[in-house]
Order: sequence, then structure tokens, then C-alpha cells
Amino acid sequence: MLTLIRREIQDNLVYALAPCAVSAMCIGAMIYASFVGVEVAMPAIICSTLLLLASFVGFSILGAAQMYGDRARRISPLLSTLAVTRHRILAARVLVGILAVLLATVPVLATAVILLRMFAPPLEFYRRMVVEIFLTAVLMGTACYSIGLLVGWTTNRAWLILGNFLLLTLCVSLMGVKGFGPEVMLLLLVFIAAVWGRTWHKFTSASL
Amino acid sequence: MNDSPIVVENLVKYYEGRCVLDGISLAVPRGCIYGLLGRNGSGKTTMIRILLGLEPPTRGRTVVLGQDSMRLSAQTHGRVGYVAEGHYLIQSYKVRRLVGLCKGLSLRWNEEFFGHLMEAFRLPMDRKVKDLSAGMRAQLNLALAMAIDPELLILDDPTLGLDTVARRQFLELAIDVIQRQGRTILFSSHILADVERIADRIGVLVAGKLVVDCTLEELKSRIKKLRVIFPERAPEDLYLTEIVNQQKQGREMVLTVANWNPQKQAILETFRPESCTELPMSLEDIFIECTRPASAVVPQEMVG
Repeated sequence: MLTLIRREIQDNLVYALAPCAVSAMCIGAMIYASFVGVEVAMPAIICSTLLLLASFVGFSILGAAQMYGDRARRISPLLSTLAVTRHRILAARVLVGILAVLLATVPVLATAVILLRMFAPPLEFYRRMVVEIFLTAVLMGTACYSIGLLVGWTTNRAWLILGNFLLLTLCVSLMGVKGFGPEVMLLLLVFIAAVWGRTWHKFTSASL
Repeated sequence: MNDSPIVVENLVKYYEGRCVLDGISLAVPRGCIYGLLGRNGSGKTTMIRILLGLEPPTRGRTVVLGQDSMRLSAQTHGRVGYVAEGHYLIQSYKVRRLVGLCKGLSLRWNEEFFGHLMEAFRLPMDRKVKDLSAGMRAQLNLALAMAIDPELLILDDPTLGLDTVARRQFLELAIDVIQRQGRTILFSSHILADVERIADRIGVLVAGKLVVDCTLEELKSRIKKLRVIFPERAPEDLYLTEIVNQQKQGREMVLTVANWNPQKQAILETFRPESCTELPMSLEDIFIECTRPASAVVPQEMVG
């Protein structure tokens, strides 16, 4: 399993690190805003928020790259003739995706918590707000990644781009309409479960 | 039957409404080199892919080392070596990295044997797979399949793209593998001389049907090619059953008959031929006769 995980990371390093770079920029913007004041740092905050949204697209590209790359380079036909099952190949792939999502979001949360403790009044409201935003962002990142996995298992590049774009728009607009909170989290959880189920079935029963 | 490393039961496969495999049943005995023959598009690769669980069957089932192909465990996969037609290796990897990956994902890895093969094939470790020639890729694929010390080796046209020397090396390796106790090889190839050299059981697929499944000796003894010279013009019909092919020219008739026996000999004698000579047949001749579109009579007794 570790060999499979290592292969996934090595093959998709650029796609996995791009969202992490974005989260580093967000952290920079947050720290900057905390020290110089939100009004002065507003352009930086807007920029970093947009970048955070872009990182969702990045997660989706990661998932698509994993699946499309596998199909195009015929990786799974080779792997599944070694001492590996298709379930393990997919499990390693998904683990790497989730790891990338956490690597990009956890440092942002950690920074936010530290900055809140340093600068914001110790109110329950702030703590809850941070946790809700963080969990929604993690789930949204995972949902976007899962969309990539689902639409990536194709040899048709046009369908890959179009499908990804449509599902991503639908998914991210959910956050725009509903905001952050338990309701969105629940919807995202159901969505992720459905997408994973479909991807699992597709990958384990398809011709390789 | 259950002890056979490969069991195929009534296997049917349809591709976009076209029947590629039509009710195939066979069992490959342990320790056997099974040569699977057939023309392009006869279903050999599809059958092999179904055996390895790369392709789901439409109907029927295949069992490899005691497990259903669609539910093969990692342990069972690890006991099967596979060389694919076209050698689907990860092209963007360097040989060293690919070897590391395969080694990391195998149950056993015979480093010494692998090193010996790499040396024999003179394969560079620091070159990308895509930069290797087709022959080198075939050799690399073969070395990777052999290094896991497989209990069952499935080779789908493995000598495709190899030069004569490399082909000879490969055949010697295959013989080496079979000599280790209990090793079984399923081997599909277009080079019939190779199959004839190493296979001890033959299966012939024609348009998705298994028309021959018997030992090589049995196949050779059952199919006879005869040159018969008649005193006058050759008769229109010899009233013989299981004629695979027949060609007539004046007094001469060249006849290929399956399941030749004294009864058929007696029927032929009633036409009082001047001479009847048996023509030697190689596996290639038999294959051509069996897969010829005109050969409507396929010896059913040879199946099973």
C-alpha cells in the first residue's frame, strides 16, 4: 500500500502541491491582515480568498489528473497484474487526494486559530465560525477532488473539461448560496458519498 | 479439474453487440505449457484479459489458481506473471523506477534471476521506458514477469517485436521456468514454430470458438494430410466425414481429414486410388487448415 501511495504522490506532486502553495499565500495574507489591520490588507484578503476558491479547482484537477493519467498511460493494467487489487489502487489514490486537501487546509485553520487567540476577543462565536468554515472548506475540497476522480476516468478530454467545469460550478455555488454551516456540510457529505460510490463501482468493474 | 491453475467455464464475451468469445470451456493442467493459437481478432487477448480480471466476462466464469478472476486477491495476483501484447509498461518512467515499483508491489522478487536477465538482455536501468526499442520493452516486460518467480505465467504474444536471438533466449527461459516444479505457462503467439517448440498442449480459437484443445501429439496424430492419386479423374465426393480441407486437380486430390482411422481408410480404398501418400504437417500447416474459412468441418472431438 505504501508503494502505491508513494507512486501516487510522485506522479501527481505538482497537482498536490499547487493547492498547498495557495494555502501558504492565504496564511501570509491572514498574518499580514492581522498585523496591519483588515482595512489596509483588504486587497490581500480578497486575493487570498479568490486563491482559496482556485485551490478547490486545483483539488479537482488533482483527482482528474490521477484518473486521466492512469487511463492514458495505462497504469492500472500494469499495477493490477502485480500483487495488488483494484480496490487498493483506488484506496491509495483517494488517500493521497485527502492528504492533499488536509495539507492545504489544516495549516490555514491552525493559523486562523492562533491569530484569533492573539487578536480577537475570546468569544465562542469566533471559535464556532472558524470550525464551521474550516470543516466546510475541507468537505468542499474533498467534494471537488471527488468530482475530478469521477470525471477523470475518461479518454475524452472535452468531456473531462466540460464535466469537471459543470460539476464544480454546481458544487462551489452551493457554498455561495448556503454559506458555511451544518446544512452545507451534510449536503457535501451526501454528495461525496455518492461520487465515491460511483467512482468505486466504475473503477473496480471497468475494463482496464 | 479443480487442481488446474486455469479453468474456463462456458465463457462468453460480447463487445458492442459482437460476440468475441462464444462458450469457451477449457482447463489447463498444472505444469503444462499451453499454446493458445488463433488468427487476429479470434479472441485470444480478450480471453487472457478476462483470466487476469482486466476485463469482465459477459457470461460464464474463469478461475485462476483457484479464485474467480473478477475477485482475485492480491496474493493470487502476486503468483501470476503476465507479459501483455504491446507491453503496457509505464512509458514515462525510467527503467529503474519501474523496476522499483514492480519490486515493491510483488510478493517475491528473485533479485539474482532478475539481474541475470537484465544482464542477458543488456537493458539500461537509467533510460526511460518510452526510449527503449519495442524489443527491449518486450524483454523488460518478460524480465519483470519472471522476477516474481510466478507459479503461473501468462504470455500474450510475448515474442512480438523480438529479434531471432532474443526470441531464442525467451524460449529457453520459458523452458527453464517450466522445469521448475509445478510451473504452468499459458502462451499465445503468432509464431507457430515457437509454440510447436515449447507447447505440450494446444488450443485453437476460431471466431471466438475453441475448435481444438488437445496435446500437440494428439493433434498431429489426428489430423492427416493425404495426397491421393486416382486412376482417372478424382471423384466429386469421397463420402468421408470431418474433411477439414480438400483440393482437387485432375487425378490428384490433396485431402486434410480430422480423426483419421481405419474406417475412413477403408472408405477411401473403395475408390481404388493408385497411390495414397501422407504429407508431413507442421503445427503451422494444421493451424492454417483449421482456421481456413472454407474448413466448415471442425473436429469437435478435439475439444475437451
